[in-house]
Amino acid sequence: MNIICSPAGIMDPAFPGQGVLDMAGSGFENTLLDLNMYCSPGELEDVGKPKVAAWKKKEAAEPEWKKKVPISEEPARLSREVKPFLEKCAGAKIEVSVAIAPCLKWSTKREDLEVLLTRLAQESIKVCGQAGIPYLIVQPLFASVARGAEWEKNRAYFLGLAESAGENGVRLLLQNQCRDVNGHLSRGICAAPGEAADWIDRLNRELGEERFGFCMDVGVYNLCGQNMREAAVTLGSRVKAVILRDCNGRDKSAMLPFTCVNGGRSVTDWLGLIRGLREIGFDGELILHFEDTACAFSPLLRPELMRLAKATAEYFRWQIGIENFLKKYKSVVLFGAGRMCRNYMKCYGEKYPPLYTCDNNQALWGTEVCGLTVKDPESLKGLPEDCAILICNIFYREIEKQLREMGVGNPIDYFNDEYMPFFDME
Amino acid sequence: MKIGVQTKNVVNDHNPEEGFSLLKRTGFSCVDFSLNGYLNNQALYRGEVNSFFDRKIQELELFFTPHKSAAEAAGIEVSQMHMPYPNYVPGGGRELNEYLKNVVAPKSMEVCAFFGCPYIVIHGFKLAEHLGSEEAEWAVTEAFLDFLAPMAREMGITICVENLYCGIGGHLVEGPCCDAAKAAERIDRMNERYHGEVLGFCFDTGHANLVGIDFEDFIATLGHRLKVLHIHDNDGVGDLHQIPFTFTRTRENSSSTDWDGFVRGLSRAGYQGTLSFETAPVLTAFPERLKEPVLRLIAGIGQCFAEGVHQI
Repeated sequence: MNIICSPAGIMDPAFPGQGVLDMAGSGFENTLLDLNMYCSPGELEDVGKPKVAAWKKKEAAEPEWKKKVPISEEPARLSREVKPFLEKCAGAKIEVSVAIAPCLKWSTKREDLEVLLTRLAQESIKVCGQAGIPYLIVQPLFASVARGAEWEKNRAYFLGLAESAGENGVRLLLQNQCRDVNGHLSRGICAAPGEAADWIDRLNRELGEERFGFCMDVGVYNLCGQNMREAAVTLGSRVKAVILRDCNGRDKSAMLPFTCVNGGRSVTDWLGLIRGLREIGFDGELILHFEDTACAFSPLLRPELMRLAKATAEYFRWQIGIENFLKKYKSVVLFGAGRMCRNYMKCYGEKYPPLYTCDNNQALWGTEVCGLTVKDPESLKGLPEDCAILICNIFYREIEKQLREMGVGNPIDYFNDEYMPFFDME
Repeated sequence: MKIGVQTKNVVNDHNPEEGFSLLKRTGFSCVDFSLNGYLNNQALYRGEVNSFFDRKIQELELFFTPHKSAAEAAGIEVSQMHMPYPNYVPGGGRELNEYLKNVVAPKSMEVCAFFGCPYIVIHGFKLAEHLGSEEAEWAVTEAFLDFLAPMAREMGITICVENLYCGIGGHLVEGPCCDAAKAAERIDRMNERYHGEVLGFCFDTGHANLVGIDFEDFIATLGHRLKVLHIHDNDGVGDLHQIPFTFTRTRENSSSTDWDGFVRGLSRAGYQGTLSFETAPVLTAFPERLKEPVLRLIAGIGQCFAEGVHQI
């Protein structure tokens, strides 16, 4: 699973150096080429509109180097514009694995931009080909599409892009969208996971190759209050990328996961998302998008924020692939004989059976929990060297310290049951 | 199409004639009988149960005889009823949950039959978070429906499941029965098993709006399985049960709830049932002396929807 840091809110396309430095400095090895930073939804909204006097005045006052023809007027310039960013990334040994093609605002009333959007998508594919970027996220057409004609219109659009994508070695990822109902965001094109899966299958079938996949935008699912576990499970292996971003469920925003909270609880269904991605064995591109959080923080705090962002993304990777770390060890014992131990046994006890468990509570020694004998922690001193100890108790660091002070030299890992079923009707 | 509204906050136990005649006067011909009002859901979540359903069925029928007579006298049809909910309280203990299943639910069915009401709306169990998946959650709801289905078939009642929401940190997200295709398949499966229409669907506009459901697609997918409605509006954030067309979110001041999609969906589904409003909270929000004009407005909106459905 690739952890990818979106540069939105972190990097200025005109001066990409510091943003790239911040990403590299916090340990990110992969980033995203967001072409909306070069041709924004706002720019597309204004295509062909007469400029107001104030804008003309502002434009006239800008220095010569800043005066550029907008990409929407000259899409072929896109590859030249992104070069400084790509060069900085290469210099910092940051790979670019995913790009996002320019897209429209959900609230747009523009129904006349289909030709331009097609041109921009084609240019985006070329950019990906030149830079060796394997995935391009392309927003389905919606603004000029009559109800009931969504599939036919998008079928033609995506199949039209497929040839160029094939030539450039790029996979096109469709993405779930919102629909703007007079300011209220509801489920739009590809929001229904069954519909999205069907579209991808039909496109790939018609093309005769797997050129299309899906990018789950967690922010969009959250805005539409959708069940993310069901979405992931329905889409299955078609999910090639996931955009992790938090929001309040009402307004479109991109916040760092776990920062949008109410009453001490996150308002986003991370439980469903992690369960779903685990179930499908997701091992694709995990894109961390926290533009609004990054913009809100002082640039002075940016390096610390970036380190937290990296740790957050790592946490998701660990949670989603929780079985990967269990597979690492030939044999394990557990530490803790409470609920977390019971959940371990319920979810993984059969597949990765522990030798026994232990607990600091002397009263439990010699008893059994889910068929495991509970022992004195002193027993851990006699473990074979390659046997790992999984701490099944939220006092992880304190217990680890205790074990190290006891002289236990075995590998120690933390188990966590936050995203597992914990309730039994019986 | 007939227009209906909840009895809650209009019809009271002391003088049901007054409430039913008010409803008739203000343009309604049907009611959604608020049986759920007799066993408060918030209290149930706290583990508190009153003794209302301890009564024998004959006593319950006696209790509701004035209501039934008053409705008949006013020419009002009890077209749908809401069973008390929840039918299962996670962590509520065996005694409470067995009481809800074995006492409240069957007696609700009997009261429904007593009123000659063809549809009773129930809430599916909210257990996906606990059980790990929506499928596991539905399996528990289905077991509950299997318990009630023979009774429903015998009484000629169709039990209707409605689209619900759950809360995550105060953010309302989709709950049971928010997938129209799955709901349709499950309804068909159950009805085939029981050789009759024991299960149908209640589309709740407010709940759908909270979780961004596309009204038109959802209703059209349900088709003939859609039996009853809970029509109400909200701001997309809270389950406010307000009058349709109340909320806007832009300076253009167009409704932020997709009522056009709602009407198109009903038309595509061929729905000819009652347009029933679940707007009881409106009646406590407005001053008492405005109750009659408020009810007239709600009935008028129902007429507007009915005309819209017929015009498409």
